[in-house]
Amino acid sequence: MAYILEKKNLSNFLTALAPEYQVFAPVKRGEYTQFEALTANEELALDDAHNTRVPPKALFLPMSETLMSYRPNGRAEMAALAEEKRVVFGMRPCDAQAVALLDTVFEAEDYNDPYWRQRRDNTLVFGLGCNQPCASCFCNSVESGPFSTLGQEVTLTDLGDAYYLQLNETKAEGLLEGLPKASPQQESEAQAIQKQAAESMPAPFKTAEVKAELDANFNSAFWSEVSAACLGCGICTFLCPTCFCFDIVDEVQRSERVRNWDTCMFRVYSHETSGHNPRPTKRERTRQRVMHKFSYWLDHADQIGCTGCGRCVRYCPVGIDIRAIVRKAADLPLEVAHAG
Amino acid sequence: MSQALDQVKTEACRLLSEGLVDVFVGYKAADIPMHPQPAFISKADEADALVYDGFCANNLATYLPQLTRSTKIGMVVRGCEARAVNILALENQHSRENLFLVGVPCTGVLDWRKLTARFGENVSAAVDEGDTLQVTVDGKTQQLPRAEALHASCQRCQHPNPTWADLMIGEPLPEGDPERVWAQADEQIGKTKAERYAWFAHEAERCIRCYACREACPMCYCAECFVDHITPRWTESTTSPAGQHAWHITRAFHQTGRCVDCGACERACPMDIKMTYLTDKLNQDMQVKYGFVAGMDIETQAPFATFSLDDKDRFVE
Amino acid sequence: MSKPRIALFQCRWCLYSIPDQEWVDNELPENIKMVKVPCTGRVNSLYLLNAIQGGANGIMVSGCLPEKCHFKEGNLGARRQLDEYTDFMDYIGFDKRRLRMFWIDLQDRGHIQRELAEFEANLSQLEAEPAAAFATRVGGEA
Repeated sequence: MAYILEKKNLSNFLTALAPEYQVFAPVKRGEYTQFEALTANEELALDDAHNTRVPPKALFLPMSETLMSYRPNGRAEMAALAEEKRVVFGMRPCDAQAVALLDTVFEAEDYNDPYWRQRRDNTLVFGLGCNQPCASCFCNSVESGPFSTLGQEVTLTDLGDAYYLQLNETKAEGLLEGLPKASPQQESEAQAIQKQAAESMPAPFKTAEVKAELDANFNSAFWSEVSAACLGCGICTFLCPTCFCFDIVDEVQRSERVRNWDTCMFRVYSHETSGHNPRPTKRERTRQRVMHKFSYWLDHADQIGCTGCGRCVRYCPVGIDIRAIVRKAADLPLEVAHAG
Repeated sequence: MSQALDQVKTEACRLLSEGLVDVFVGYKAADIPMHPQPAFISKADEADALVYDGFCANNLATYLPQLTRSTKIGMVVRGCEARAVNILALENQHSRENLFLVGVPCTGVLDWRKLTARFGENVSAAVDEGDTLQVTVDGKTQQLPRAEALHASCQRCQHPNPTWADLMIGEPLPEGDPERVWAQADEQIGKTKAERYAWFAHEAERCIRCYACREACPMCYCAECFVDHITPRWTESTTSPAGQHAWHITRAFHQTGRCVDCGACERACPMDIKMTYLTDKLNQDMQVKYGFVAGMDIETQAPFATFSLDDKDRFVE
Repeated sequence: MSKPRIALFQCRWCLYSIPDQEWVDNELPENIKMVKVPCTGRVNSLYLLNAIQGGANGIMVSGCLPEKCHFKEGNLGARRQLDEYTDFMDYIGFDKRRLRMFWIDLQDRGHIQRELAEFEANLSQLEAEPAAAFATRVGGEA
């Protein structure tokens, strides 16, 4: 089922959602865009720079989240789970697919994260496909694409003066009821745009298929080469929509137990109490990052752990390109002879 | 700076083939436009793949604490990087005798974000031609004066010449105008306290505590950073104002008498935070109060590492 | 209008006289929180920041006279760092008059009470903002 929302009616559409839903959309902040709760006069930046600097996973796994607080009498008070119903409007398919991937982590059988779950259950995602993928985008190489619908209740295609809305999940149907249905002509217009977007991207390169090479070359000098320039700064993991590592710390000064984003790219991340560090240098840590996305994720979820958003490519201060690393990995030998 | 490339390659090749260095640190061509990658070459024939231009904008001295002291290292350095190397030698983080610095007088590094802000996200190529840049977007190439894409720290640079290098390529450039050097700090000083706080809070609130600024900085090499300290827990790791303020204030203060104003921190920040105005003030104070500029030699101790009975008592008449 | 909250970092050697020592240990006014340190040289910027973020309106660091440091030079290092920290914090909006370091001579009885009283009076004259905005730490017992 598909509908049409004319851009001139967008503001009213979102305002109408207001009493029941809190609406999050990209707004301009300096030179970049960011998902924020819309207030009355906030200007949407949907047509702006192609993607937000910080991925919208922050809406489900906050950068810093209080889990509990301590009262002076020693009692712990659990933080209330987020109650508000929300609509996230304008999430790109790479980011939406990433959120769906993270469900396999936070809603696993043996580990169910109530904080994540509550936010996910209370949120509807209106994804916005990409008419013009950027040079740093590579979603088509990681089993996704500029108009992938995974993780989205509704997928939008920008037709110019209107959005074509494709309903993916019936739970969002109620919100689209008042909108006119899309005509067959509008439908083919949307399809043409989607096809053109996919074709405009560079040919996909092998990703899932390099798992064998990656696994066989765990001890290879290859990792020393590709990690040499790495600063260990953590930007790749902080801007990554599929990274989920977190650190829980008792902030004693404010009497709260807090969960913060963490990164495997810091030395202290794997530094054990004994003093031993299984990933002592950036060689091991860079290897960890690449193998987690392109090998271990396949082991645990049968999916590639990267959705090709390109943020790590764009913002790495030393120009390390994970696409180049994966491409080089495809040329590694499948069997490595062990010395001695 | 791009004119120096041939000589950089020749030197790197010579140093490696004569066994004078075990590794030469420079840059190699980008997988991504405007982002050349620091390169660590160990064979003379790899020297030909080196690149050098205004987009080579990291501070290579940051890699020194990661390399063992006994490794003989060759490195191409600008003025600020050479000073950073001096400070690391002074602070006993590396051994100056094992370094061979190939110095390039610097016309400033380029800020790729200025190009994307101007031309959009799809810049496919940008060539540094000395006075101009040739920028290609969506198949079309336009020209831009190089000065318009200089990183802000370079616009304020006082010491572009790596005079402590073992070999300097080309003629030294004139020193920077002192008025310009302090322009950013003086602008802040001219504001009211409320305005200064507002600016501080406005910049700090974007901080996501990724610590890219710390990792890009050659001076931040502590085995345990103060933010990782648990007992006692001085500052919080959260992205709350308390945590963000504490991070920015303390990291800057720990640079007092050590910062070379290279701007690598600002260039690394994924949230476009401008933080050099903090160290600018500290650098200015060190110069005005103690006549000290960081990294000008490897003997003079930084002001916080030494003190005197004759120091001024500002609090007591 | 409540009294200004003052954080006092007190070197334990400069208050050698018994009456002053006892006053500081037992009769310190409620609005002053004291931390005893073995030497002012031990006071690092994180202590000061901690106090500021915890709500201190003013910070005092009290130590031995420059030429009489119990550990010879600790107070000299502190003097340089505190001088710069004061100016740095003022640069980002925390009034430099809210940080003060002073020396106490063993013979000088009653000096600490006078210093604290004067500092408190001066603090009351200063504008609350933007300094108060630095007190960002919330929750628990401050």
